[in-house]
Amino acid sequence: MTNENNVLIETVDLQKSFGDLQVLKGISEKIYKGEVISVIGPSGGGKSTFLRCLNMLEEPTGGKVIFEGNVLDAKSTDLNKHRQKIGMVFQQFNVFPHLTVMENITLAPTLEKGVPKAEAEKEAMELLKKVGMEDKAQEYPRKLSGGQKQRLAIVRAMAMHPDVMLFDEPTSALDPEMVKGVLEVIRDLAQSGMTCVIVTHEMGFAREISDRVLFIDGGVIAEKGTPQELFDHPQNARTREFLSQVL
Amino acid sequence: MGLGPGLFDVLQEYWPIFLKGTIGTLKYAAIAVSLGSVLGAFIALINLSKNKIANTIGSVYVNVLRGTPLLVQMYIAYFFLPIAIPVLNGVTKEVYVLIALILNSSAYVSEIIRGGINSVDKGQTEAARSLGLTASHTMTKIVLPQAVKNILPALANEYIAMIKETSLAGTFMLYELMYTRTLLANKFLVWQPLFIIAGIYLVLTLLLSWIVKIMEKRFAVSD
Repeated sequence: MTNENNVLIETVDLQKSFGDLQVLKGISEKIYKGEVISVIGPSGGGKSTFLRCLNMLEEPTGGKVIFEGNVLDAKSTDLNKHRQKIGMVFQQFNVFPHLTVMENITLAPTLEKGVPKAEAEKEAMELLKKVGMEDKAQEYPRKLSGGQKQRLAIVRAMAMHPDVMLFDEPTSALDPEMVKGVLEVIRDLAQSGMTCVIVTHEMGFAREISDRVLFIDGGVIAEKGTPQELFDHPQNARTREFLSQVL
Repeated sequence: MGLGPGLFDVLQEYWPIFLKGTIGTLKYAAIAVSLGSVLGAFIALINLSKNKIANTIGSVYVNVLRGTPLLVQMYIAYFFLPIAIPVLNGVTKEVYVLIALILNSSAYVSEIIRGGINSVDKGQTEAARSLGLTASHTMTKIVLPQAVKNILPALANEYIAMIKETSLAGTFMLYELMYTRTLLANKFLVWQPLFIIAGIYLVLTLLLSWIVKIMEKRFAVSD
């Protein structure tokens, strides 16, 4: 899997500053096709910013992001094409409240990829079935629970047939009883071979599904390794301290 | 010399004049706000863009037009535009006054639209862009449809405000409500038209405010 030909996303000395505050201080990392990577670390350490730089929602102030061999540049028109292949799921769901569940899913494929409406709707129904929401297709998001909104957000991203899925604390805004259903959907995705990068506080989940775990603290990858290495034998003092607080 | 004829006598005799004035008022306000909205939308986009120079121009535009009296703007349009832009020389004086009304309205409307767009959660834009939607599709399919429910009632309020503002156009002989005073003063009717005009303005603004309230309730239901 970690063959050089299989690199999907590479960051080279990735830096990001907000004004005087440097949040990312140079992150160089390769993400390989089919990998499931969890990103953990303390709040404010830069893990969400790192994730948001991967699809240029945050413009890096230094270094670069290479996706499928292309250097992503916020000013190039092709960025939209690349973003279509990078699905993203947000902590706050960000479903479109003025569109039905069905329209939420079919909007981007019909608008940006020219998929015929009937075809897009057929696929949307199949995706909704997979997450147990086929009866919600004509509802507006205000009628959905938090867990259903997040599953809709995942399905909406999947409808673009992305090559990678980015998850930004997907269960942090959910009521506890909703978490399991969303994690199950992510688990199914990960097991189907989808490349996933997941920023999460769910340590048990991260340990269970990840191929690799990155511990980001102070704007750098302070430690990385397999879940066993990182959770059972952390080498870095900061990793140990963080894990002792959250586990 | 007594008070002269009463309000109802005047209204009964001259109602076609007041009706024509009312129609003029509604028409000029509608032209000012609708064309002002088109122009205002452009100004809003200029003010929302990331280009600092464009922002500065847009903000000067808005501040000047909102920070100076409409009457002064009308005088400038009326006396200065014909000299400055000779091409416009053939057009009627009505056009100059309307230009002032439209520009003035565009400044207010641009702020309404900007506020409406800003009221849409930033996460909506991020979600749309992360799906690969272009910037213009994000604006037309995601942001604007959600902004409209904040913008429409505010626009209606701007129309109500403009109904009162257009009274200044009477100064330049445009046939609207306030101009009926000038017409009837020639018939030695001094005070009656003033109360009738005030009454008509009040009925118009109260009626429209009531419609806006119903409109706002409708939008609230769809939340």
